[in-house]
Amino acid sequence: MPELTYLQAISDALREEMRADERVFCLGEDIGRFGGAFKVTDGFIEEFGPDRVWDTPLAESAIVGTAVGAAVEGLRPVCEMQFADFISCGFDQLVNVAAKMHYRQGLAVPITVRLPSGGGFSGGPFHSQNPEAWMLQAPGLKVVAPSTPRDAKGLLAAAIQDPNPVVYLEHKHLYRRTKGEVPEGRYELPLGEARIAREGTDLSVIAYGAMVGVALEATEDLDGASVEVLDLRSLVPLDTDAILGSVRKTSKVVILHEATRSCGVGAEVAALIAENAFEDLDGPIVRVTAPDVPIPFSPPLERAVLPQVDNVKEACRELLAY
Amino acid sequence: MATTTARPAALDGSEDGRGLLTRDDRARLYRYMLLMRATEERALTLYRQGKVPGSYYDGHGQEAVSVGSAYALGPRDRACVLHRDLGAHLIRGVRPGRVLAQMMGRATGITGGRDGNMHFGDRHLGCVGMVSMLPDMALVACGLGLAFQIRREPRVAMTWFGEGSTANGVWHEAMNVAGIRRLPVVFVLENNQFAYSTPNDHEFAVDPVERAAGYGFPGIKVDGNDVEAVFSAAAAACERARTGGGPTLIECDTMRMHGHGAHDDMRYVPPELLEHWAARDPVEAYEARLAAAGIDTAAIQADVRAELERDTEWALQQPMPDPPTATDGVFAEVAEPLGDGEAPWSRWSPDREATHA
Amino acid sequence: MSSSPTSGSAVAEVTMPQMGVSVAEGTVVEWKKRVGDWVEADEIVVEISTDKVETEVPSPASGRLAEIVVEVGTTVDVGTVLARIDTTAIPGEPHADEHASPADTGNGHAPPISPVVRRIAEQHGIDLTQVPGTGRRGRVTKKDVMAFVEHQPAEAPLHIESPYREEGPDAAPAGEPLSIMRRQIGEHMVRSLQTAAHCTTVVEADMSRIEEARGRLSYLPFVARAAIAALREFPSLNATLEDDRLTVHDAVHLGIAVSLGEDGLIVPVVRNAHELSHEGLAARIADLAERARARRLSPDEVGGGTFTITNPGRYGALLATPIINQPQVAILDLEAVVRRPVVVGGDSIAIRPMTYLCMSWDHRVLDGALAAQFLSSVRRHLEEWNG
Repeated sequence: MPELTYLQAISDALREEMRADERVFCLGEDIGRFGGAFKVTDGFIEEFGPDRVWDTPLAESAIVGTAVGAAVEGLRPVCEMQFADFISCGFDQLVNVAAKMHYRQGLAVPITVRLPSGGGFSGGPFHSQNPEAWMLQAPGLKVVAPSTPRDAKGLLAAAIQDPNPVVYLEHKHLYRRTKGEVPEGRYELPLGEARIAREGTDLSVIAYGAMVGVALEATEDLDGASVEVLDLRSLVPLDTDAILGSVRKTSKVVILHEATRSCGVGAEVAALIAENAFEDLDGPIVRVTAPDVPIPFSPPLERAVLPQVDNVKEACRELLAY
Repeated sequence: MATTTARPAALDGSEDGRGLLTRDDRARLYRYMLLMRATEERALTLYRQGKVPGSYYDGHGQEAVSVGSAYALGPRDRACVLHRDLGAHLIRGVRPGRVLAQMMGRATGITGGRDGNMHFGDRHLGCVGMVSMLPDMALVACGLGLAFQIRREPRVAMTWFGEGSTANGVWHEAMNVAGIRRLPVVFVLENNQFAYSTPNDHEFAVDPVERAAGYGFPGIKVDGNDVEAVFSAAAAACERARTGGGPTLIECDTMRMHGHGAHDDMRYVPPELLEHWAARDPVEAYEARLAAAGIDTAAIQADVRAELERDTEWALQQPMPDPPTATDGVFAEVAEPLGDGEAPWSRWSPDREATHA
Repeated sequence: MSSSPTSGSAVAEVTMPQMGVSVAEGTVVEWKKRVGDWVEADEIVVEISTDKVETEVPSPASGRLAEIVVEVGTTVDVGTVLARIDTTAIPGEPHADEHASPADTGNGHAPPISPVVRRIAEQHGIDLTQVPGTGRRGRVTKKDVMAFVEHQPAEAPLHIESPYREEGPDAAPAGEPLSIMRRQIGEHMVRSLQTAAHCTTVVEADMSRIEEARGRLSYLPFVARAAIAALREFPSLNATLEDDRLTVHDAVHLGIAVSLGEDGLIVPVVRNAHELSHEGLAARIADLAERARARRLSPDEVGGGTFTITNPGRYGALLATPIINQPQVAILDLEAVVRRPVVVGGDSIAIRPMTYLCMSWDHRVLDGALAAQFLSSVRRHLEEWNG
């Protein structure tokens, strides 16, 4: 199996879907001649031509809205937001037009919206966000957030072929830093299935996206404790069985995400556990997240805000000692 | 790109100027306008009887716009219809009974009670239902056109919006991408003089039809109360779009003769303005023209009345949706694209038509 | 959990009194008040004894008993604070431990009991005050209570087919209809007896090596591991017989009989048990048993077994003739491990932990020789256990 970066895996998935399925096309700002701000679509316009690799004007509503129209006519558009932050500019098309369409009219909207998300590189308040919680309040959207190259490829292929609007969060920090073995050829990983990144018995860390790596690093050697790391992979649908299964095994839970704290994925997962596995808990449910602030620009401030390996270690040690 | 004003078509014989409309087409245009008005009047009655929940909106006085424009569509064309354009749904093949069931929130309404009043589109008939955020559907229409363009299909997407929508940024994005890619989209702008209570002079400094030139495609202003004038402009725009000529903006000058909704007493509308437009009622005016041309309008009226009676009875018997189904269908299991609509214009079913007038 | 005293509150201390010039220490005999009780000045709060006298200690002030510092039975120096009384409290307020857990009583600073610990304790009838806690402030953790459960001689998890049940004083009156579950179990058992040609073979095994190796684990995962190894040697016992069609399975899906107390029993299945070590088996069995008792098994976790083990030995039984779990062809019964004098090394007698391995098998499918060979193999794996 070849070893690819997270970015290459995303690019491969998109390219292979476009080669195999002529319904698939992509649209976004600077994705054509420039190959995309992060070069995910580098070389695409040469291979697929300008009809299937549309360099749009700077108009996020138009990107999502036209994708909806093309999708209900039978195509499989893949939208790129240049940064996840800019989904706010196309939000209405996503949450009011796309998300509600099937419920209201039985009309499926098979679009994929790629969101390069996350911070850690001094992107500042408008290029560092993890806006997934916004989507969780819009019934009808599926939301995935892969953490490995293998998952990135399989989940993007699945997102493209899914009959629903799928928001695909790709963490910018992982693009070129994360490498891993990726199967060749087309394959899909099911949306809605979490993955146990490491088995353990004493405590569960539940994470997704870039924080899976942080969780693994922080708990690799934690005073001999056996720490399970559960990679959610998919936020909608949420793999409740996997979450509750892990909790029932370890009885102690740390939920880790880079997004801000209040009403985030962690809050939802904590509530799920409290409602369904209360009698399996052997300690308080703990969240490690960014505080409720915009992501600041200056490196020491940004580090102070984004969850670090040491924050996770500390939280796990506290809970283990409880 | 000059802004032009299309002239109303002349009346009889081949007198629509280009031989586009047969005598039967004219009778059908009249019938659809009448059917729209009768359906909406019935719906308003049901609303006042407490059988239609929520709010109630209609297109009274604007019948010529949706009927005239949608009549130009072919079966494989697609439509994103606004809440004042019931005529477009009827032309695409939605029966009045289902419209009434829809408004009453019945299980057999087009959305099965999921959405209310005119917020619907029958996907089996090539319609995408509107959302309340106007004019979001203008972008969806661009996407439909984009699909046709990518697949090299000679098809058209038509979308309707009021002049109020032209103040929203989404409208700019839609017009801009349509212009850049020369998308096969027909934008039908219904200027009914008010965005809720806000008059034209508070909505824009320049008539929005003039803006089309700035996006690189033609803008045409027509008398929105003359169904044949609207049809004529729409047919030409569809032809342009189908043959690679790109989008067209058609502004239809008309008047919203009812309040924004049934809850609106329109106290902000000057009485003389209403009187002015009342004298130009699109249904009555067209009836006079057809009657003068020897078409039996009384028979059409009787036919529409009978259809409405039957359909109302049917709609009132329809069941309410089952409460436990409220959580069904948030996600799709399969993606089934839009189906084709009816296309009553004789051009699309020439065999059915014998009598060119 | 007790609430911490609010700032600005005044505290009066109850101390060990000097009951005679030479008395240096005293022992708490009985607390007359609980934490949270209202105490009037001069009201008796505690009874103490010294080597000279037993006496009652009156409260130095009116207030609410905020904290008991010295437990009953503890001997402390004269002057030591025995309790603290919050003199700013108001009579008639809700009792401080009204919402606290029973285990908090008598100790204002008792650490919390987590939901999972409470549930496990209730399931096993454990008095948590008897469980040593290793968590923060001595909290009893899940690990603590699980370890305690493991070392309890006779607790709930069990088995079994035996129709004999202890009749408690609250036994159902005659004529009470059987529960649905009991009826279903009964039907299965009768059908199995009517279907299979039941025979039972018994061997005796020396569990010394297992006793050394097992640590906190029970015998069950070791016997399961040994049985799986034997099944690999004699695959014809890892089989199902349906309508005269015998299927010999590659994978071992091991059924484990789990008692649901009064309600009956259920046999969850450890899938692909042949891939698991004894630790893995222990974990899977514990998980299945726990979820079985919580009624949280999914349907596919109770079907598809290829061989079953039942484990009533904890009740001290020596021998049993279990009923085969249809459509399987054999069921292994693990009985009590009992220290017995046995002959070893020719002529010596030694005391060894011994058990009987009883297996019922279907004479339609196999014969006694094979059953004996299989059981001998299980015994060999147990006696020669090397982890």
